[in-house]
Amino acid sequence: MQIQDLPYPDPGVPDARSGPRFLWWLARNQLGGQLKSLAWGLLHFVAVSALPFCVGLSVQAVVDRSGTRLALTGGLLALCAFCIALGDTFLHRTAVTNWITAAARVQQLLARKAAVLGSALTRRVAAGEVVAVSTGDVEKIGWFVEAVSRFTAAALTVVVVCVALLLYQPALGVVVAAGLPVVALAVLPLLPRATRRADFQREKAGRATELASDTVAGLRVLRGIGGEDLFLDRYRRASQEVRHAAVRSARMWSLIAAVQTLLPGVLMIVVVWYGVHLARQGRITIGELVTVYSSVMVLSYPLQNFHEIAMAYSFSRPSAKRAARVLSLERATDTEGVRGADVPSGDLYDPATGLLAPAGRLTAVVCGDPDAAGLLAERLGGHPAEQDTSVLLGGVPLDELPLDTARTAVLVQDKDPVLLSGSLRELLDVPASGKVSAQDALAAAQCGDVLDALAQASLDAEDPMGTRITERGRSLSGGQRQRLALARSLITDPEVLVLDEPTSAVDSHTEARIAQGVRGLREGRTTVVFTSSPLLLDHADRVVLVHEGRVVAVGVHRELVHSEPRYRAVVTRETEEEAVLSGVLKELEEIEETA
Amino acid sequence: MIGVAPPAYDPAAPKTANTLPVGAPATVRAYVAELFRRHRRAFLVLIGVNTASVMASLVGPWLLGDLVQRVSDGARELHLPLVLSLFALALAVQAVFVREVRLRGAMLGERMLADLREDFLVRSVGLPPGVLERAGTGDLLSRITTDIDRLANAMREAVPQLAIGVVWVVLLLGGLVVTVPPLAPAVLVAVPLLVVGCRWYYKRAPSAYRSEAAGYAAVAAALAETVDAGRTVEAHRLGDRRIELSERRVREWTAWERYTLWLRSVLFPVITLTHATVLASVLMIGGVFVLRGWIGVGQLTTGALIAQMLVDPVNLILRWYDELQVAQVSLARLVGVRDIEPGAGEESLAPDGRDVRAERVRFGYREGVDVLRQVSLEVAPGTRLALVGPSGAGKSTLGRLLAGIYAPGDGRITLGGAELSRMPAERVRSHVALVNQEHHVFVGSLRDNLLLARTDAVDAELWAALGAVDADGWARALDDGLDTEVGSGGTALTPAQAQQIALARLVLADPHTLVLDEATSLLDPRAARHLERSLARVLDGRTVVAIAHRLHTAHDADVIAVVENGRISELGSHDELVAAEGAYAALWRSWHG
Repeated sequence: MQIQDLPYPDPGVPDARSGPRFLWWLARNQLGGQLKSLAWGLLHFVAVSALPFCVGLSVQAVVDRSGTRLALTGGLLALCAFCIALGDTFLHRTAVTNWITAAARVQQLLARKAAVLGSALTRRVAAGEVVAVSTGDVEKIGWFVEAVSRFTAAALTVVVVCVALLLYQPALGVVVAAGLPVVALAVLPLLPRATRRADFQREKAGRATELASDTVAGLRVLRGIGGEDLFLDRYRRASQEVRHAAVRSARMWSLIAAVQTLLPGVLMIVVVWYGVHLARQGRITIGELVTVYSSVMVLSYPLQNFHEIAMAYSFSRPSAKRAARVLSLERATDTEGVRGADVPSGDLYDPATGLLAPAGRLTAVVCGDPDAAGLLAERLGGHPAEQDTSVLLGGVPLDELPLDTARTAVLVQDKDPVLLSGSLRELLDVPASGKVSAQDALAAAQCGDVLDALAQASLDAEDPMGTRITERGRSLSGGQRQRLALARSLITDPEVLVLDEPTSAVDSHTEARIAQGVRGLREGRTTVVFTSSPLLLDHADRVVLVHEGRVVAVGVHRELVHSEPRYRAVVTRETEEEAVLSGVLKELEEIEETA
Repeated sequence: MIGVAPPAYDPAAPKTANTLPVGAPATVRAYVAELFRRHRRAFLVLIGVNTASVMASLVGPWLLGDLVQRVSDGARELHLPLVLSLFALALAVQAVFVREVRLRGAMLGERMLADLREDFLVRSVGLPPGVLERAGTGDLLSRITTDIDRLANAMREAVPQLAIGVVWVVLLLGGLVVTVPPLAPAVLVAVPLLVVGCRWYYKRAPSAYRSEAAGYAAVAAALAETVDAGRTVEAHRLGDRRIELSERRVREWTAWERYTLWLRSVLFPVITLTHATVLASVLMIGGVFVLRGWIGVGQLTTGALIAQMLVDPVNLILRWYDELQVAQVSLARLVGVRDIEPGAGEESLAPDGRDVRAERVRFGYREGVDVLRQVSLEVAPGTRLALVGPSGAGKSTLGRLLAGIYAPGDGRITLGGAELSRMPAERVRSHVALVNQEHHVFVGSLRDNLLLARTDAVDAELWAALGAVDADGWARALDDGLDTEVGSGGTALTPAQAQQIALARLVLADPHTLVLDEATSLLDPRAARHLERSLARVLDGRTVVAIAHRLHTAHDADVIAVVENGRISELGSHDELVAAEGAYAALWRSWHG
């Protein structure tokens, strides 16, 4: 897989039974890339390790006063340089490619998983985990998977060099071959503590960033009422904690750096001491001594890969575990369904509450308990989070339809619909019947001022449909967000549209106009609105009062508001005293009438 | 492979207008200079320990060269124990100072970074409320997260490492000049190659890395949104589109990865060849010099070893240089906040009385587009004024003007005869508070969330404030009482509880005039009713301007102003307006059935 061919047409089915299995699955799926990286790595590291021989040969040539051999060594050096440059560049290219393809594959797997899980992800723990894997873990996973082949190449090179030194100069070679493993492995015991401290530092930094962004997010509140110094002090403390944690972590890393200087240095002294002895006895040449010394210097380069792989593994292990857990999440209900994928039509009926929404009419549902209303609205769409008696559409149980068909038939707009970021055009481009134009829907939902506000904030004011909505529509007010979400639902134009408190943040003037607009646009289609606003209720063909899980009254607004005290209590917001009072007044009226 | 052109789509290109200024080069330079001055001592210490460590590292090659010379001369006495002790001593010194360099570098970097982020927050919380209202907090938020993040690497690593690298190279070259003067020019043979390669690379690299990072962030952002909008995505059957979007983001990101990989594919061979050329020229030219008898074989050895040592510092400099360039852009964005005038106001200006008055006020957010025209209004102390009218008519804007957040374009808004917009923000808010839908609960203890309104309040006063808004019941039931951690990540509060906290803050801050921008409209009806009782207690005895989205709020007001098209079209009490048979009357009838 090359970078330009990404994304994968199909990222495959991951082995998510455990973290290590997932890592192994990723590595196995890029075996070609891993082998390429190994081959280029070998060329690179071996060529780098050959440089000391060139240095030694040159020195020896000079000692022997041979210009020809010096020139030949120059040629060898040029060859080495060429191989190093080639190996380095292509090792880097293949390694980065492995990293990117692994990271892209995991990101794609996550995107697919998130799309399948959909509403099941609203449990916050799971949602947070998916995002954590995508933002932090993918990099670490990619790093380890990529580093495997690079490490293998470096390890092989170290072995090759030791063997070569043993053959080239057995007496000194033995010292180097014995000393190198110690040098390579000595800092490993320090690494876990260093990575722990680094993690702790990151945690502190995350906390400080959270405090800062939280303070900024609430800055208008803070500037409006005071307390800036309180929050600044708090942030300063957090920021200083980050600094202390970072310095503590740096202490460990600087200790590692010192050890990494000291140990090769000690080996070098041993080599010099023993080497000079050998040289004086005439058992080795000066050039050979310089070669061995220089080799020890250069070998620190491939040896770095030993630490790196250890770190990559300790960082990536928890990441891989989390990724495997996320990728093995499943939906609680069966999304395939047991019936065909034909979209049913007719009356919407809920046997559990007795709620009936006749086909083609606007039904308003009044429910004193907003949580119960939310659950009922969710059930009306079929496939709810917790299984229950299924809602029937034209006599067909929605829960038995494939999930996609049920969602096509009934669109439930919950209390907190999310506006996805992108241009307004993209926002409104949802799977739809095609019978309702964006203009009509925006007009019905009274979005004129939203378009103006968007145009004001955009770079290009010419094309209002091209203006950008920021994430969750945060740049808009609550009422503006609600109206855009309503317009989006109207465009979809489903068989049945269920709206849960669609105008709770909209002012009364606008709400009255929306009520007319929605009614006009949904003429002849089935619509269910959960609301307690008289302005919407007044426009409904049929108003249903749900109390404690059952339908207790059906009628029209003007009728119910007079005849049904429970209804009046919800929609007119009268207090208990007022309720008593109006009850008394009504009795008086009735007495007068009868009199 | 002929090369890779930069991708056409740039994820780092701004998508919304910068709502806050970006620092001019002069401002950035001045800030950097100030930062250096503040940390001059730490810099000098870092350079000192670094010098010591590099000097110690030069001892090894120098001693070996000396030994090589004497062995090849056939000298009888090598003083080996002395030489090796020196070697060991130098090594010990080097190890100690290498540790110091790493540590001091990190300490310096961390201190600068802490300064920078704290400075930025200090500036941010000092911004005039009007600027915040207009700019929103989005731009500021992205600066404090994304830009601080980008700068972290630069401050933590790039600045100290570059300082180290430069000193290191200079000292190595100096060492070479001192030990083998004739070889010094041989090192320079490779410089032109390096300069040409680096110029090509650094012209393209910084912006490419910025785009690459933005592209990668966009991949994660697309997924985070899919997750966040799970219900909406499922309800609207957007799953396949979200997958498509994620894959498009992957494609855009990897296109930039491919481009930067190509840039490095040019740079890396240049660097490798530079190192090899340096080594080769030292060995070959030096070899010829030895053969000619101009220098000794020991000097050649020392020179060759130093040439090999140059690899590390040169790589260090190249590695961190582009990080610094990327950081410049982020720094400009952070420093830009300093360019905003803090809006000091006139200290001497103080209100005399509590009556609020607007006189022929005109106001617009943009040139030539007026939101309010010729609005005059008088609110007597203790009265309740309701502003009603359709969305976009200017109600909220008028509310913000009356709360002193914006200054009117023409006309004046006064509190007790003193012009609100010319008073310091801190004084305005001790008299007037704006309460809106934004009931932010800060991350922290419940106590901190209340204390911000009156920082010297004792616990008994905090409980009294909670009691005044009916919130002491649930607050006492919390496990840790006032110490309970709330806000994101802490104990979750319902929107109604969050609103009660906002109201309790008002009780503590105790301003005599309140502007309510439909504080309870986002709540479900039952909670809203409960809250209204709490609110009623808070409002008692204060002047109130309520922006009413709901008519029952208007019904209870002493005076109602209907705002339409930036003007006040009807003004009077509920009964008067109903009797007048205007727009308000029509609305009231449809509401009340």
